[in-house]
Amino acid sequence: MAVFDTPQEAFGVLRPVCVQLTKVQTVENVERLQAQLQKVNAAALQELQEYVLFPLRFTLKTPGPKRERLVQSVVECIRSILSVTCVKKQDLLHELFSELCTCLSSPSGLKRPPPQSEEVKLTVIQALQALMHSAYGDILLSLYQPSTLPHLGFAVSLLLALAEQEKAKEIRTSALKCLQALLLHCDCQEYHRLLDKEESQRCGDLFASFLPGISITLSRMITGDIKQGHMITVSAIKLFYQTVGFIMADEQLRRFPEKKEKPRVEQSRIADLMVHRGPDWVQSTADKLSLLIHKIVESSSVHQHWKVRLELVELAHHLMLKSSQSLVASVGQLLKALVGLVNDDSPKVRSRSSEVLRSIAEQKVITENRALADVLSENLHSLATALPRLMTSQDDQGKLSTLNVLLGSLKLLGSKMNIVLNSTAHLHRLSKALMQVLELDVTDVKIVEERRQGELPASLQHGLQKGQAQKKYFRFFTDERIFPLLQQVCRVLGYYGNLYLLVDHFMGLYSESVAFRKQAALVLNELITGAAGLGLDVLHEREAAPSMDDLKGTITSILEEYTDQANWHLVTSTEEQEEANDKLAIPPSRLRALTEGAHSSSHVLSSAAALEPNPTIRSMNSNIWQLCIQLEGVGCFTHALGKEFRVLLMSALYPVLEKAGDSTLFISQTATGTMVDICQACGYGSVQQLISENTDYLVNGISLSLRRVAHQPHASRVLETMLRHSDASLFPLVKDVIQDVLFTLDQSYDSQAASFLRVLHSLMAALARWFVLARQNEQQQGAQTSPGTTQLPGAIPTAATTTGQDVERFFLDYVKQKQIAEGNLPDMEEEEVFPATAEEPQGNDTGAEGEASLPAHAQVAKDVMERCIHLLSDKSLRVRLKVLDVLELGVTVLHPHDNHLLPMAHRAWPALVTRLINDDPLAVLRAFKVLCTLAEKCGDFLRQRFSKDVLPKLAGSLSSQAPVSARAGPVYSHTLAFKLQLAVLQGLGPLCEKLDMGEGDLNRVAGTCLVYLSARQPMKLQEAARSVFLHLMHVDPDATWLLLNGVCCPHRYPPPHASLRPVQLSGMGRPRGELTDNVLHLLGELEQRERAMLWPRTQGAPEPHGPPPP
Amino acid sequence: MIATMALPPPDPEFVLRGTAAPVHTLHFSCRSQEPEFPILFSGSANGLVQIWNLKTHRVDKTLDGHGGKSVYWVETIRGRDELLSQGRDQKICLWDLAEGRSMVTDSVSMDSVGFCRCSLLKMAQDRWLIAMPADDPDEVQVLELPSKTSVCTLKPEAGAKLGMPMCLKLWQPGFGACPFLMAGYEDGSVILWNLSMGKMLSRLACHQEPVMSLDFDSEKAKGVSGSSEKVLSVWSLDEQQNLKVHKTHELINSGISDVTIRQDRKILATAGWDYRIRIFGWKKMKPLAVLDFHTATVHCVSFSDHSRPSERLLAAGSKDHRISIWSLYNQT
Repeated sequence: MAVFDTPQEAFGVLRPVCVQLTKVQTVENVERLQAQLQKVNAAALQELQEYVLFPLRFTLKTPGPKRERLVQSVVECIRSILSVTCVKKQDLLHELFSELCTCLSSPSGLKRPPPQSEEVKLTVIQALQALMHSAYGDILLSLYQPSTLPHLGFAVSLLLALAEQEKAKEIRTSALKCLQALLLHCDCQEYHRLLDKEESQRCGDLFASFLPGISITLSRMITGDIKQGHMITVSAIKLFYQTVGFIMADEQLRRFPEKKEKPRVEQSRIADLMVHRGPDWVQSTADKLSLLIHKIVESSSVHQHWKVRLELVELAHHLMLKSSQSLVASVGQLLKALVGLVNDDSPKVRSRSSEVLRSIAEQKVITENRALADVLSENLHSLATALPRLMTSQDDQGKLSTLNVLLGSLKLLGSKMNIVLNSTAHLHRLSKALMQVLELDVTDVKIVEERRQGELPASLQHGLQKGQAQKKYFRFFTDERIFPLLQQVCRVLGYYGNLYLLVDHFMGLYSESVAFRKQAALVLNELITGAAGLGLDVLHEREAAPSMDDLKGTITSILEEYTDQANWHLVTSTEEQEEANDKLAIPPSRLRALTEGAHSSSHVLSSAAALEPNPTIRSMNSNIWQLCIQLEGVGCFTHALGKEFRVLLMSALYPVLEKAGDSTLFISQTATGTMVDICQACGYGSVQQLISENTDYLVNGISLSLRRVAHQPHASRVLETMLRHSDASLFPLVKDVIQDVLFTLDQSYDSQAASFLRVLHSLMAALARWFVLARQNEQQQGAQTSPGTTQLPGAIPTAATTTGQDVERFFLDYVKQKQIAEGNLPDMEEEEVFPATAEEPQGNDTGAEGEASLPAHAQVAKDVMERCIHLLSDKSLRVRLKVLDVLELGVTVLHPHDNHLLPMAHRAWPALVTRLINDDPLAVLRAFKVLCTLAEKCGDFLRQRFSKDVLPKLAGSLSSQAPVSARAGPVYSHTLAFKLQLAVLQGLGPLCEKLDMGEGDLNRVAGTCLVYLSARQPMKLQEAARSVFLHLMHVDPDATWLLLNGVCCPHRYPPPHASLRPVQLSGMGRPRGELTDNVLHLLGELEQRERAMLWPRTQGAPEPHGPPPP
Repeated sequence: MIATMALPPPDPEFVLRGTAAPVHTLHFSCRSQEPEFPILFSGSANGLVQIWNLKTHRVDKTLDGHGGKSVYWVETIRGRDELLSQGRDQKICLWDLAEGRSMVTDSVSMDSVGFCRCSLLKMAQDRWLIAMPADDPDEVQVLELPSKTSVCTLKPEAGAKLGMPMCLKLWQPGFGACPFLMAGYEDGSVILWNLSMGKMLSRLACHQEPVMSLDFDSEKAKGVSGSSEKVLSVWSLDEQQNLKVHKTHELINSGISDVTIRQDRKILATAGWDYRIRIFGWKKMKPLAVLDFHTATVHCVSFSDHSRPSERLLAAGSKDHRISIWSLYNQT
C-alpha cells in the first residue's frame, strides 16, 4: 500500500473523503476516511490532525438523533487518529473531552448506565483513553483546573458507573483503565509526564472532591460478587489504593495550609465544589476510609484468587508507604492484612507480603514511629484478649487467619512484644488461648493398645534416621496447617520474648493442672526451640540472644520438671497398673521409708497418683501423649543446645532410655526418635555410640535405682535398652551393674522377679547374640565343606565291599549297641568323651580356656541360670514362662563350656521335668522347647534322664491325645493341645537323634508316633510325625524299615537262595488302611536315601531278623 | 537435724566408676573460683592417680607415676597446680599440674614399707611441713617443703615398744604457732609430739589394736581415732598438753580404715571394713547415719572443701573399685 509521507500528498488524498463526509454523514463515508487514514503516515497526519478531526466532530455535533452505528464508527475513527497523533492545543483537548463524554450521556442522569449499545460504550471509553494519552503533558494538565471540575466530575462518574454496572467484562476493565488514566495513574508502557509537587498538590485538591464517589464505588466493586472475575477486582483494588494514596498522601497533606484561600468571586460555585484538605477534612475522611478499607481487607484477604490477595498486599504496602499518618486508624487493619498474608497458601503472596513486611520493618516505620508500634501492640492486646473466645468459636479457616495475624504481629513487634507479655492479664489470656487450642484428642484406643514387639527395626540400629515427631490429633481443629502455625507462634514468642518470664509462666501452668500439662509442655518445647533461633523465620534479628548458659539453665530446670517422678512415671498400661497394685501389698510404712529421699514428697504423691483406682483408657492415652511430648521436648532441647547438651546427658539420657524400653509402642518409638535426635545434636554417629560413650552415666543411674524397690523396673528397662542397642563392647562396662541386678534379685525373689526376668532375658539374648551367634556364623562358614568330605569316603568303600565282613561288622556293632543301650559297658564313658571332643575341634580351645577360667560372659550366664533354677517353680505362670525362655538362652550362651553347662543341666533337670510333666500346657510347651535346646547342646548327657523321667509321660500324653485329634474338627488347630502335640512331634525326632537314644526308647517313640501317621490326623501332625520317622531313619534305618514294613509292605522279597526261607513281613498283603499313604511315602524316602548312599539294598537288604547268610 | 534423722539414709549423689582397682585415697579440690570446676583426686591400688571432673563425673586426666604400686595419699598444694602423691613404691612424687601439664617435678623417697599416710601442714606462703614415716620403723621424719630439708626426726624412747607409726596428723594451735604432730602407733597408742623440741608430750593408749586412722580438731582440742577393733575413741588435749580419753563409741562391726572430721567441725565420717560409711555428730558423737552402698571394704572418706557449704560433698573410696559421692547434712 502506498504511504503518503508529506502533508501535501496526504492532504490530497484525505481532502475528498473529508469533504464527502462533511456533506453526507454515513457510515460508509466514515469508513472510507478510516481506510484512507491507514495510508497516511503519522507525521503527516499530525499536520492534518485538526482538519481530519473536523468532519468527524461535526458528525457528532450534528443535532438530532444519530444512529449508533454511525457514532461508533466516528468515535472509532477519532480514536485511531488520536492514537497516532498528539493533541497540542488546550481547546481541542477540552472540546474533544466533552464531546466524547456527551456521546455516552444519558437522559436519565447518571444513576443508570447509558442506554447505548455495548460496542459504542467500549469505543468511547477507548477513545477517551486514547485522548488522555495523546495530550501533551502541559496541555493535559490544563484539563485539571478548578474550572473543568464539572467536566471531570462527569467523566469520572460516568466511568465509575460503567465500571460498576456494565455486564461485559471488557467494558468494565477498560472503564477502570480509563479512569486510571484520567486520574493520572495510568500504568501503561507509554511515557507519562511526572508531576512536580505543586502540580500534584493541585491535582490532589481537585481529585479530593471525587474521593467519596470513587472510594465508595470501588469498595463496592471489590467486595462485590465474586463471579465478576478476579481481573476486575484486582484493577479496582489497584485504582483504589492509587487514588486514596494520592489524595491522602502524607506529603501533600503536611504542606496544606490551615486556612482556606479566598475563593475568587466569579468562581464561587465551582469553589463550593472544591474541597479543602484541612485537618478536619482529613480526620473525617480517614474515618470513613477506614471503614471502607476494613471491608476491603476483610473480603479480599480471603479471596480465592491469589492475584487478588497479592494486590491486597500491594494496597497495604502503598497506603502504609504513602499515607501512614493520615490513615493511621487503618494502619492496624492494613498490618493485620499483611501479617495475615505472610502465611498465605500461594508462595508469591507469601514472599511478597513478607518482603513488604520486612521492608516496613527495615525502614523502622514500626519501631521509630511510635504511633505504629502503639497500634501494633494495641492490636496484640486486643487479639490476646479476644483469642480465647476466637479459638473456641471460629472454624478452622477462621483460626488459621487469626493465628496468622497473631504470628505476623508478633513478628513485626519483635522484642516490643514484651510490653504486652509483661501485662499479667494479657499473658494469661494468650496462654489460655494456647492451652485451649492445643488440647489434644485423647480418645484413640489404638495408642494404648499397641505394644512393642521384640526387637526394633534394624535400620535404627545401623543408620541414623531423623526422629520424627508423632502426629498429633487435636480436639478443636483438624486442619493440618494450624499446628505448624501454632508452633511458629510459640517459637517467635521464644525468640523475641522474655524467656524467663515465658518459661516461668508456662511451667506454672504445667504444674498447675493435669488438664494443661500436655499443652504447656508443647509450648515449652517450642519456646526453647525458638529461643535457640531454630526452625523459624523472622523479619528482623533480635537484639540480644540468650546466652548459652541461660539457655542451659532454663533447659535444665524444664528437664528436671519433665523427668520428675510425678511427671515421668505415669500409668500407661494396665500391666503397670497391676504392678502398681502388687506394690500396694507392701506395707505402707515400708513404702514410705523406701521412697522418701531427696524427692520424698513428690514421689509419695506420684505413687499415690499411680495407685488411683482403675485409670481409664482416656487417662492412659493422655499419659502416653504427655510422655511423648516430653520426650520430643528432650529432642528439641538437644537441638537447641547442640554439643552443650552432652553435659545434661548425665541426667537426661537415663529417662529417655527408660522410655525407649517402654512396652507401649508409641512411647518407645518416640523415645527412640529422641535418642536419634540426641545423636545428631551432640555429634554421636549412632545410638550405639551414644550409649557406649555414656555408659558411665547410665550405669550410675541404674545402680542407684536398683537400691529402691519402686525404681527397679525402670532400671531394668534402661539396662534392657542399653543391651538392645549395643554390641559386645558394652559388656565389660555393664558387668558391674549386672552383678548389682543379680544381687538385688537375690534380695527380692518374690516381689520383683517379673521385672528382673525381663532384663535377664534381654541380657541373655544379648549375650547369645554377641558371643554365640557371631561365633557360630564363623564356624558355619568354616565347616561348610566338611560334611561332604566325611561322608563320601565312608560310603564308597562299603559300596565296594558288601560281603561277609560287612555283615559281620554290622552284627558286632549291633551287639555293642545293644549292650550300650542296656548300660552294662564299664568303659562307655571314655568312649563317649572321645568322639565328643573330636567332634568339635573349634570348641576345644575355648573349652580348655573355660576350665581354667570361665569367660566373663559365660560366668554371667551361669549366674543367671543359677537364679533361673530357683525361679523355675515360681507361683506365677508368667514368671515360669519367662524363666524357661531365659534358661533356653542361657543354655545357648553356656554351650561352648561343657564343664559348666552339664552340671548346670543336672541341677536344672528336676525342676524342668516338673514343668514338663506337671504344669500348665503353656509351660509344658515352653519347657519342651528348652528341653530340645538342652538336648541339642548337651547331647547324650541327658539320655538316661530323658528316657526315664520324660519320655514315658510324653509318649503317654501323645497316645492319649491321638484319638482326640483324629476326631477333631478344623478349629482344633487353634487349641493349645494341638500346639503341644505339634511341638512334641516336631521336637521328638531331633531329640532322638541328639540324645542318641537306645533301641527300646526308639521303639517307644516310633510306636507312639505311628498313630499320628494316620490320614485322619490333622495334616500338620502327620507331617510332624513323618519328620519323626525321618529322624529315626537316621538313627536306625533298619529298625525303622522293619517297623514300617510291619504296617504295610508294598514289595515281596524273594529269597536270594532257595535254601533260605521266604521273608514273611507282617505288613504284607494288608489292605489299604489309614496309615498306608504316609508309610509308603516314608518307605520311598528311605529307599531313596539308601540308594543315595550307594547301598544295594533293593537286592535283599541285610536283615536283622532274617537268618545269617552262608 | 532431728528431723533429718528420722529419714532413711540417702542414696549416693552419684558414683564414680572406672578406677579399675581398689581406691585407697581421695582428695577434693573445689575451692577455686567459678570457671574452674570442682575436682576430685583419687589414688588407687594400680598406682594411678585419677583426676575426676565433678561436673561431668568423668576422669579428666590420669597420672601414672608410681610404677603400678598402690597410691595411698594425695594432697594438693598451691591451689590445684601441684599435687603430692605417696605410693607403695616408697616415693612421694610432686606433680606439676598447672596449665594442663602433668609431670613429676620432684620426688622424695622414703624407706618405710608401712601403710602410714603422710601429713602436710602449710606453714607460710610456699613453705610446708610434711610428716612421713622415717627409715627406722618406729620413727617419724618431718621435712620442710619445697626445700626437702629435715626439720626433725621423732624417735620414741628406747623400750617404748610403740611399733610402726600408722597414721599422722600435723597441726598447729594457731597460724604461725609452733606445730605439733599427732601420731597413731601400731600398739594402739596416740602420741602428741612437739616438733620444735622433737619431744613426746603425751601418750595415750586408747586402743588394743593398731590405730588405723585419726583426726584432730585443734579448735576444740579434741581428736578421734579408729583402729581395727570395734571401738571409736575420742580423746581430748588439756592445757597441760596431756591426752585424755574423752569418750569411746562402740561399733557393731570391727575395723575403721579412715576417719575424717568435716572442716566445719560439725560431723565426722568413718570408713568401715564392714562396707559401711558412718556419720557422727562431732559434738557428742551422736550416730547420725549409716551409709550402705559399697560391696567391699571402704578405704577412705573425704569431705570436699567447696566454698559454698550447700555444695559440700562426702566421697568414699572402696575396694569394690567405686567412689561414692554423697551430699549430706549441708543445709545448715
